[in-house]
Amino acid sequence: MSNLINRRTVLKLMGGTLAAPFVLKHAGAANRKIKVGALRFTSHSASFVAFERGYFADAGLDVELKFFQAAQPMAVAIASGDIDYAVTAISGGLISLAQKDAIRVIGGALSEEAGIDGQKILASDAAYQDGVTTPSALDGKSFGMSTAGSSFHYMGSRIAAQEGVEMKFKPLQKVGAIIGALKSGQIDAWSIVPHIAKPLAGSGAVHIIGNVSDYLPDYQVTTVFTSRKNALEEREMSEAFLNAFSQGIDDYTAAMIDKTADEDAMVDLIHKYVYADRERAKAAPSIINGTMRLNKGAALNMASVTDQLAWFQSENLVDSDISIDQLVDASYVDITGQ
Amino acid sequence: MDKSNPVASAVKFRGGGFAPTPLRGVGALVFFALIAFAEFGTRSGFISALTLPRPSDVLLTFKELYTSGLLWKHLLPSLTRLAVGAALGVSAGICVGVAIGLFSLVRAGLVPVVAAIFPIPKIALLPLFVIWFGIDEGSKYALIAFGTFTPTVVATYGAVDNVDRTLIRMGQSFGLSWFSIVRKIVLPGAMPGILSGLRISLAIAIILLVAAEMLGAEYGIGAYILEAGALYDLERLFAGVVILSVIGVIVSATLGLLERRLLDWRT
Amino acid sequence: MEIRLEGVSHHYADMEVLRDITLDIPQGKIVCIVGPSGCGKSTLLRLIGGLEQATGGRILQVGDAPADCLNPLTYIFQDFALLPWRTVAGNVSLVLEDHGISGQQANKIIDDVLNRTNLQSFRHAWPRQLSGGMKQRVSIARALAVNPAVMLMDEPLSALDSQTRELLMDDLIGLWTATQFTAVYVTHNLAEAVRLGHHIVLLSRRPGRISDIISLDMPLNERHFGDPVLEAQQARLWTMMRDEARAADAELLHG
Repeated sequence: MSNLINRRTVLKLMGGTLAAPFVLKHAGAANRKIKVGALRFTSHSASFVAFERGYFADAGLDVELKFFQAAQPMAVAIASGDIDYAVTAISGGLISLAQKDAIRVIGGALSEEAGIDGQKILASDAAYQDGVTTPSALDGKSFGMSTAGSSFHYMGSRIAAQEGVEMKFKPLQKVGAIIGALKSGQIDAWSIVPHIAKPLAGSGAVHIIGNVSDYLPDYQVTTVFTSRKNALEEREMSEAFLNAFSQGIDDYTAAMIDKTADEDAMVDLIHKYVYADRERAKAAPSIINGTMRLNKGAALNMASVTDQLAWFQSENLVDSDISIDQLVDASYVDITGQ
Repeated sequence: MDKSNPVASAVKFRGGGFAPTPLRGVGALVFFALIAFAEFGTRSGFISALTLPRPSDVLLTFKELYTSGLLWKHLLPSLTRLAVGAALGVSAGICVGVAIGLFSLVRAGLVPVVAAIFPIPKIALLPLFVIWFGIDEGSKYALIAFGTFTPTVVATYGAVDNVDRTLIRMGQSFGLSWFSIVRKIVLPGAMPGILSGLRISLAIAIILLVAAEMLGAEYGIGAYILEAGALYDLERLFAGVVILSVIGVIVSATLGLLERRLLDWRT
Repeated sequence: MEIRLEGVSHHYADMEVLRDITLDIPQGKIVCIVGPSGCGKSTLLRLIGGLEQATGGRILQVGDAPADCLNPLTYIFQDFALLPWRTVAGNVSLVLEDHGISGQQANKIIDDVLNRTNLQSFRHAWPRQLSGGMKQRVSIARALAVNPAVMLMDEPLSALDSQTRELLMDDLIGLWTATQFTAVYVTHNLAEAVRLGHHIVLLSRRPGRISDIISLDMPLNERHFGDPVLEAQQARLWTMMRDEARAADAELLHG
């Protein structure tokens, strides 16, 4: 769930873009040097596994992992050609960059799936005491989001629509600010990945009042994306990337969800990247808490993506004449949900 | 050379330059040229849509914003925040600045405090203001007020310090009361300095508007710009930035008018 | 009303500025104080007017000021000290406002003093529009407005060019002839002293002491530019002062 952590401000976004707007990568043969953008987040585990276990190298890719603090600059870095592949949620910004022919979505990464712990709907303690114990009681309440057009906005809006309630959406730019506002009761509700939601609820300052998957089953939370040029002109390289990435997904799923592989070894591997500043004993529960379904074979749920695009368009957050083909190159992975 | 009839030549002129003269229309021409270049570049394709929006599209976006009525929906909250925040900050700043200028005790006590809070990036305090004043208008007023307060204080007490002491002695020598001296000599004498400080304070207020609308603002020019940035919608981003510029120009022009009215004794 | 100085002395920190000044300022006379630069003559004037406190001796006001006097001891400053944000009339009315004089009554006074200083047509002008001479006339008009018992004039003509200075001296003589005001007139200019002073007090260099007092009997309105008697007096004063002035000139500033 890559767009859940810090979003940068407009200025930083612009700065990132203007820094290298015309940088282009040149095509080459095997053992291609590529850069893969990642956030230190469990949802990026497939990249870590593929890197650590040599799947990228096996596919003839000399991968350098580039770590980002937020999803937004990562999308811009793809657009500017500073990195080649990355994983992030579908947001208005991503769609906008796709419209400008900067990027293409080529696969799926993370989904909501019934039966697997997914994103939680949270209420502040004040709101909870006030009777907001289920999402249906959110009428007239405020819902936190990073910015308009973020995945939080999408989730909150879809939840509200299905419950038939009206909510006020409060842009707070950063996840840290949203957590602060929720804890102090400045906003009433929010939705977030389980490994953030659970410790928050454990502290008693907020309460879990529902699951996002109840409202958005099969929600395609994050996707694999690359530059339009890579998607169209570097087919071999992109397929090699997706194959190696899929192997990473398989290992992750086997260890963390199906429990058919060594979970401890997987936690060890992920711990090298995520919560590396905590000792393993403390990091492990968070890593395990963060387990979510990664799409096998990087399959993409087109129904969910289409719904998301339609929602962004209906909210007038993106241009109404963007087609799904401008956003997604469906020729790479299995397409589900159609 | 004949001594009785030396060659006469004109003294060479060497006193030119170093005297700026106002040239009308050059500024507008530069503006126009830059915009025309951007328009041409984006149309011909050598500036990509990712790099810069097309100026005519920005204009179109602005028109849309106006016709949809959203312009006022964004503009009114922002102008209210600017007006309330700046009014609070500037009036408090002038009061404190005059007090620092007049009373040694206040000066000794507050100048170090002001010096300490002046360089704090006020944006950093936004989360704190949200806790103190609430996520709604309170924190936004507070941020803008706080941001305008310190430069106003510094400008004001500097202006009071610069009031001609002989004028104050003159007032004393004619037996004017303390209050009369402050009202009729110190304040008018400090007015030019206070007004030029106001120019800086109000520019800071506009800069802080975007920051103030980072947290919890659904409508407002700053919120609009932030949203456009997150959506990577360059047309809206530029439309918003242009609105801020226009607000800046209007504020500056209004201050110019105020200066001409209040300081008509100067030139 | 008269002013009497008894053994006045003054120090700034450990610098002695004035020593044992004993002097009478008789009513209706102009007393000029001259001396080399830095002799403390301006300090003495500030002491007389109460803008500074003498560290030793007494400064006495003998007799009461007239009933219609708003500000018995009134200064005229070298740099005019006009408020640039007030017009000529506004600058005069400034010193009336605190005495509750406004409207018709103030206008009457303003008209009167502007007439006496030939400023009637500059009533609404800003100070920046006036020449130095005009500015000092406004300053004089402002002083006249409070009907002072004693005028304390601190180098009033020193910021003006020599032609304007002549004109203003004529004006001052005209004013004195009309009303016979009392004045202490501080100047470094001996020509002014012999033209305007009934008594000329000669101060030594720092610390300032009275080295001589000269009285001139010639009526003010008979003293003219280039008068041989006055020039002789001026030459005499210069002879008395020259060595002091040279020594003062050679002194380091601030010790």
